[in-house]
Amino acid sequence: MTKDHFVCIVDDDEAIRESLRLLLYASGLQSCAYESADVFLADEKPPVFDCMLLDIRMPGTDGLELFKILARRRVPYPVIFITGHGDIPLAVSAIKLGAYDFLTKPFQEGELIGKVRAAISHYRSTRQHLLELQDMQARLDSCTPRERDVLRLLAKGLPNKGIAETLGISPRTVEIHRAHVMDKMSADSLPALVRMITTLEPPDN
Amino acid sequence: MTKQQGIQDSANAFDALMDAAVDAIIIIDAAGLIRRFNRSAENMFGYREADVIGDNVKLLMPEPHHGNHDAYLSQYAATGFAQVIGKGREVLGRKQDGSTFPMFLSVGEIRQEGGNRFVGIIKDLSEVRDTQEQVRQLEEQLLHADRLVILGELTAGIAHEINQPLTAIAAYADAGRNIINRRAEPPTGDIESICERIGEQSRRAAEVVQRLRKLVRSGSVSKARHDINQIIRNTLLLFEFEVKRSNTELNFYPIASLQPLYVDEIHIQQILVNLVKNSLDAISLAGQQDGRIEIRVRKVATDVFISVTDNGPGVPAQNRSRLFESFFTTKPKGVGLGLSICKTIAGAHGGSLKYSQPKKGGCRFTLSLPLEFIG
Repeated sequence: MTKDHFVCIVDDDEAIRESLRLLLYASGLQSCAYESADVFLADEKPPVFDCMLLDIRMPGTDGLELFKILARRRVPYPVIFITGHGDIPLAVSAIKLGAYDFLTKPFQEGELIGKVRAAISHYRSTRQHLLELQDMQARLDSCTPRERDVLRLLAKGLPNKGIAETLGISPRTVEIHRAHVMDKMSADSLPALVRMITTLEPPDN
Repeated sequence: MTKQQGIQDSANAFDALMDAAVDAIIIIDAAGLIRRFNRSAENMFGYREADVIGDNVKLLMPEPHHGNHDAYLSQYAATGFAQVIGKGREVLGRKQDGSTFPMFLSVGEIRQEGGNRFVGIIKDLSEVRDTQEQVRQLEEQLLHADRLVILGELTAGIAHEINQPLTAIAAYADAGRNIINRRAEPPTGDIESICERIGEQSRRAAEVVQRLRKLVRSGSVSKARHDINQIIRNTLLLFEFEVKRSNTELNFYPIASLQPLYVDEIHIQQILVNLVKNSLDAISLAGQQDGRIEIRVRKVATDVFISVTDNGPGVPAQNRSRLFESFFTTKPKGVGLGLSICKTIAGAHGGSLKYSQPKKGGCRFTLSLPLEFIG
């Protein structure tokens, strides 16, 4: 593990932010810190980091809300929640939503660094896949709602004509949307496009 | 009936009166020597009449009257200035066994040839005082219990307030040890500054404990001059976590330049804690996400008004007249004592606690305190 690894801290308590940064530093990890979820979200160019330590309770947008926003964006890095004693049910729901782990204050000796390192090495092994997912999601997000409708119906196996009828538009318009979707999603074939959308939005059984 | 017979009759009647009186009656001469000591006096003080006749009455008084009584008598003889005659007052008496007790003493003067006499009539106040003391202690226990109940409800927040600095301390200590072990260069300053931070955070935790200790403390009323703004600020600190958790907006508008008020700090905090907690409960029970609580201090003429206003659902009209009744509650687990206790406390400060309905909805409680009240 090198000093190039970066941890992002989001916590409203200055002393916690500062002490965690120092502890990470003393363990060879660089860090950045934000005093609230809103300040983090407002940062247009946050540094690239490998793990986020997120306080579950904060004024304004709280930790869980921020996590939901990040999950929607499919950010690739693992998130470890910082929780208090009464927050276990919250922490559990965070894990169910896909958080990597959680820490209960005050931390046991070595616990924080141990979990951060575990999260970073997990991230290393899955990063490529996760980055692709994030990229794919960003491409999907760049489609218009109508284009996404067309894409989803394509994935269901409907022909252009069927899509046109379902959406109440002309087959010609469907063709134009479909071309835009293929382009925006950088798909070189229809099967590739279907694979993408089923990865991002697995069909419910 | 002869004149002699008449005198004899009234002497007998007087003796009978003395013996039958429930109050202690003691007659002394101008020099302060005891001349008569009735049966009730015997019971009250524990002396037999025969043993105290001719003794100086100051025998029955603890200091300072014990040492001053002779002077009172001679002053009265010389100037007619009376300390107690014709007024009656509460003083302490001393029994034969040396113990003292509260008593009400009234003194009359018997003007007669051959030397004036003074008659003292004494009521034992011990029982009255005991009852008053018991009531006072019960009230204190009730106030204390109310504070404990509220603190119990704030436990999660308090644990958080203490956990924060502890977490920072643990992290600083771990960091410091790693730096020493690895001989890494700390980013800013050195080990000394890490130690300083640890110290700061321990004091932060200690302050939380200190704030609580005051509220948890049981004990008698102790009024002193306090800055009302500061009392409010300290109280609101207790709610930091609760407010954060419920996403409620809590605003305090202090008053500029206000003389310190003569109040019991803990009791004023208790009123505020009750009011703010009620507002938070109402807002959270209504499931409101836009909760707002506002605390304002104003001064009008000779009173200070502290209002706690929220934008919760307010108090339904049919409950308004019963708000301050003991054991009236609408909370699922409430006891119904908070507001009634608060009103009592306000009264003990010469002030009042009132409910009003803001035009925009919600509810408002206003505590008024007189600028000058020595109670």
